[in-house]
Amino acid sequence: MAHRRVSRRQFLIGTATTGAALAWGTREAPAQKKAASLRLWILKTYVEPTNKAVEASAQRWAAKHGGSVTVEYFTFEDMQTKYVAAIENKNTPDVGQLETSAPARFAGMGQLLDLTGFAKQIESQVGKPPANVAPVNIVDGKLWAIPWYIMAPFWYVWRDEFEKKKVKLPTTFEEAKQAAHALNRPTDNFYGLGQSWNRTADGYGVMQSLMYSYGASWVGKDGKYRSIKTPAMQKAMRWATDIYKEGIQPADTLTWTGSGNNENFIARNIAQTSNGPSITFAMENAVAKATDAADRKKKEEALANHVALPHPAGPEGLRMWAIAMSFAVFKNSKDPEAAMSLVAHLLSPEETLGVMKDSYGQFAPVLDKGRAASKDYFNKNENYRTFGKAAEWFVPTGWPGPITAAAAEVQASNVLTDAPAKVIVDKWSVDQAIEWEDKKIKEIYGTLGA
Amino acid sequence: MRLPRDTGAAVVFLSPLLILVVGLIAYPFTRAIWLSLTDKLVGYPERFVGLRNYAYLLDDDTFHEVVKNTLVFTAGSLVLKVLTGLAMALVLNGVWRWRNFFRGLFLLPWITSTVIIALTWRWMFDAFPGRGFFNSVLLDAGLLRRPIAFMATPAGAMAAVIVANWWRAFPFFGVSYLAGMQAIPRELYDAASVDGAGTWQRFRHVTLPGLKHVLIVTIVLSFILTINDFNIVYVMTRGGPGTATQVFATYSYEVAFNQLRWGRGVTISIFLVPVMVVAIALVSRYLLRERE
Amino acid sequence: MTVRAFTIIGLVAFLLIVLVPFWWIASMSFKTYEQVQFATSIYVPRPFTWENYTVLWSATRFPLWLRNSVVTAVLVTLITTVVASLAGYAVARLRFPGRELFASLILVLYLVPPALLFIPLYRVLAELGATNSLAALVLSYPTFTVPFCTWLLIGFFKALPRELEEAAFVDGATRAAALTRVLLPLAAPGIVASAIFAFTLSWNEFLYALVFIQDETALTVPVGLNLLIYGDVFSWGQLMAASVITTLPVVALYMFIHRWMVEGLAAGSVKG
Repeated sequence: MAHRRVSRRQFLIGTATTGAALAWGTREAPAQKKAASLRLWILKTYVEPTNKAVEASAQRWAAKHGGSVTVEYFTFEDMQTKYVAAIENKNTPDVGQLETSAPARFAGMGQLLDLTGFAKQIESQVGKPPANVAPVNIVDGKLWAIPWYIMAPFWYVWRDEFEKKKVKLPTTFEEAKQAAHALNRPTDNFYGLGQSWNRTADGYGVMQSLMYSYGASWVGKDGKYRSIKTPAMQKAMRWATDIYKEGIQPADTLTWTGSGNNENFIARNIAQTSNGPSITFAMENAVAKATDAADRKKKEEALANHVALPHPAGPEGLRMWAIAMSFAVFKNSKDPEAAMSLVAHLLSPEETLGVMKDSYGQFAPVLDKGRAASKDYFNKNENYRTFGKAAEWFVPTGWPGPITAAAAEVQASNVLTDAPAKVIVDKWSVDQAIEWEDKKIKEIYGTLGA
Repeated sequence: MRLPRDTGAAVVFLSPLLILVVGLIAYPFTRAIWLSLTDKLVGYPERFVGLRNYAYLLDDDTFHEVVKNTLVFTAGSLVLKVLTGLAMALVLNGVWRWRNFFRGLFLLPWITSTVIIALTWRWMFDAFPGRGFFNSVLLDAGLLRRPIAFMATPAGAMAAVIVANWWRAFPFFGVSYLAGMQAIPRELYDAASVDGAGTWQRFRHVTLPGLKHVLIVTIVLSFILTINDFNIVYVMTRGGPGTATQVFATYSYEVAFNQLRWGRGVTISIFLVPVMVVAIALVSRYLLRERE
Repeated sequence: MTVRAFTIIGLVAFLLIVLVPFWWIASMSFKTYEQVQFATSIYVPRPFTWENYTVLWSATRFPLWLRNSVVTAVLVTLITTVVASLAGYAVARLRFPGRELFASLILVLYLVPPALLFIPLYRVLAELGATNSLAALVLSYPTFTVPFCTWLLIGFFKALPRELEEAAFVDGATRAAALTRVLLPLAAPGIVASAIFAFTLSWNEFLYALVFIQDETALTVPVGLNLLIYGDVFSWGQLMAASVITTLPVVALYMFIHRWMVEGLAAGSVKG
C-alpha cells in the first residue's frame, strides 16, 4: 500500500523535525533572522468579521517578526478540492487550517510535518486540548496538527412555540421527534423539524451525532472496520428516516443547501433544527440592520425567542460531532520554523481571545489556556454559555476509534447521508440501506487499510 | 495544380491549430485512457490495474442509474427541443414585419450562461415561497395552499433539469428550422396547394421532408452536447435528490473530486466514447455531404 | 384555426416562455432579503431597492470575478480569432492532401467533451504550472472555441468568390497580402461573428473554471456564483443581481450582431 510504504520515511522525517523543533524550542519567542514569507490557508466562515479577525491576527505576527503572511481562504464547500488540488500540484501552503478528519487524511499521504515535539514545546504558552479532542490529530502515535477551536452544532428551537403548546424543551433525539409532532402545523406551513440529510456538515455531521449517540459506528476502538448491521444502527436509521415519513418536515427538506435550514428556521417555517451559531449571528445582524422602531422590536423579540440548546443525546449518551479546526504545517514549507512560529502566535490565548470576540459565538476554543481566556466572553447570555461548552460533548469522525484516513474517506464519500436518502427517495427498506452503506464502507476500508 | 506550394502554406497556416489540438486535446485524451487503467487516488502514486475500473462500474448500481438518468435527460429534452423548435419556426415563419426582432429576442436563452440558467430555473421551481416563481404565483392566486416541492422527488427533479436544458437550447432548434423552412422552394408549396393539400398535409409532405437534413443535424449535435452536459445538473441539483439526476459528467466529477478516485472518474466518461464516435460519424456524414 | 391566430398565440406564448424567467430574476434582484424571505411582494418589488447591487459591488469579490471573466474572454477571443482564421482559410482555400479529412476532424474535435478531458487536462496544466490562475483557462478554452470557430469560418471563407483573390495574385500579390487586403475585409462579418461566439463560449464556461482554479481571487463569474449559492447564510438578492449583471454584456454584444450569429448558426446546420 502506498501510504504504508511512506510511514518509515515519515518516522525518520518526524525524528529529524522533532529534533529541529526541540532545538528551536529552547530559544525565546522567535525573532527571525531573515524575512519569512508564508502562505496561510484559513476557513472562510459564514461570519465575515471572524475571517477578518483571523487575518488580522496573522498580520500581527508578520509585523512582530518582520515577515509577511499571505492569507488565502477556502470554504466549507471547497475544503476538500482545494487541498487536494494543492497536493496534486505540489503547491501546498506553509500553514493550513484543517478540519476534523483532514489531518488523518493528509498525514496518510505524507504531506504534513510531525508536530509532536512542537506541541510539547508550546504547551506552556498555549495549553493543551481536553482528552476528548486531543485524539483528533494523532495518527500512528504522532501529532500532525494542533486544534484551535471547534465549530459545533446546536439544537435551535423557537421557545414560544414550545411554551404555547406546553412542550418540554428536548434533550434527546426521541424527545425532539415527539416535540416535532406536537408542534407540527402543516396547514399553516409550519413544521416541527427541519433536518436535511444533505452533503454538508448539517447533514453528515448530525448523522454522525445521531449514530454515535445511539452507539452505532462503523469502526471499533482500534479503528478497524466493523459491520454497521447492528440494532443500534437500525434505531438510528429509523429515526433518520421516520422524520421524513411522518410528515413533520417541509416537503423539500432533503434538497436543502447548507443555508436551507437557516432560512427556514429564521422564516419560522420550522420549530427545530441543528445548526452552528451562524443562525444567532444572522439574527443579531438583523437587529442591527432594523429599519425602524417597529421592525427593531420584532427582530429583538425573535432574537430573544430563539434558543440554542445543547445537541440532543441518544440512549448511549450525548456525542456531538463538530468541525474541529486545527493548524498543520505542510512538509513542502520552505520555512518550517517561521511556520511553526506563526502557529504558536495564532494559538496563543491573547490572539485566540481577540478572534473569539469577533466570532459571534461560532468558535469554541479547545486549548485550555484559550478556553480560560474566553470564559467571560461566553457569559454573555444563555445561548453563548451553551456555545462555550461545546468542547465537552465533542467526538470526532470515526468514533470510537482514532481518526484514520479511511474514516475521513467514509465521511467525504457522502455514504452516511446517501443511505437515508435511498430510503426516503428511492423507497428502499432500512435494512437494504444499511446493507448498502455497510458494503460501501467496507470497500473504503479495503482500499485504504485499517 | 499548385499542390506543393499550397502544402507549405497550409502547414504554416494550420500549425497553431495543430499544436493546440495535439497538446491540449489528443495528448490529454490518451492520458485519460491511461488513467482509466490505473487506480489513481489523489495524493497517492498510481498503479496499473488493467480493466478493474471498467469491471467495477459495470457492476455498480449507481453507475447503472447514471446511465438511465442520462438517457432520460437527453431523450426527454431532445423531444421537447425538436417539437418546440418546429413550433417556434412555424410561428416566426408566419411573421413578416418584425421577424428578425422576434428571432433575435427568442435567442436570448441560448446566449445566456448555463450556470445562470440553472440557477434561474432552480429558483423558478423553488419550494420556498418568495423565491419560487411557480409556488409564489400559485399560492398568491389561491390555487395552492402549501408550496409544492417540485425538485424534492426523483421525477420532479429530473423534470426540472430537463426543463432547464430545454429552455436553454430550443431557440437554436427554432432558428435552424426557420432557416431550413425558408430554404424550401416556394414552388413545392404551390404545387401541393394545387393538388389540394391542406395546411397539415403541406407541413407533412413538403415542410418536414425539406427539413430532414437540418433535423438530423440538430438532433445529433444536441444529443452529443446534452449527453455530456455538466453545468445544468451540477448547479441545479448536484445530482440529487439521492442520485436521481446524476448524469455521466456530474458522476465523473463527483468520483474524481469528492471521492478522489481519478482512475474511476475518468473511466466513467470513457464509457461514452463509443456512443460519441457513432454519433459524430453520423453528424459528420450529414454535415459534409453537401460540401464541394 | 387561421394561420394568423396561430401565429399571434404562438408569439405571445414564446414571449412569455422566454421573458418570464428573466423577469423573475431581475425582479428578485431588486427586492430586499425580507421580501424574499417572507414573500411579501411577489410581482413588483415593494420597496424597490438597489442595495443588492451596491452590496454586491462593494462588499463581495464579484467585481474581481467580473474582471477575471473579461480578461479571460478577451484573451481567448484574440487567440481563437487568429488561429481559427488561419486554419479556416487554409481549409477553405488551400489545396493540400488530406484536406477533407482535416475538415471533418475539426468538427470531431469540437465534440470531444470537456467532461472527458477535464481530469487529464488538469494534470497537464498542473505540470505546466498553469493551474490556479487564469492561464489555465486561456490555455484550455481554445480547445473548444477554436474548432467551433474554425468550422464556422470555413463556411464563410468558402462562400467568398475566388475571383477576387485570383485577381490579386495576377497583380503579383503574395498569398499573405491577398489574405489581408482582399479576403479579410470581405470575411469581416464572419470573423466578427466568430469572435463573438468565442467570447460567449468563454464567458459562459463553467466546468474547467471550476476544476482548474481554487484561489478565490482568480475565479470567473460562473464559478463565483456557484460558490455563493451553497454557503450557509447569504443574500439571494445579491446572487440575482450578479446574474443580471453577468448577462447584460453578452446581451448587449449580441444585439449588435445577432443577424450574423443567426446566419452563422443556420449556415452550419442547414447548408452543411
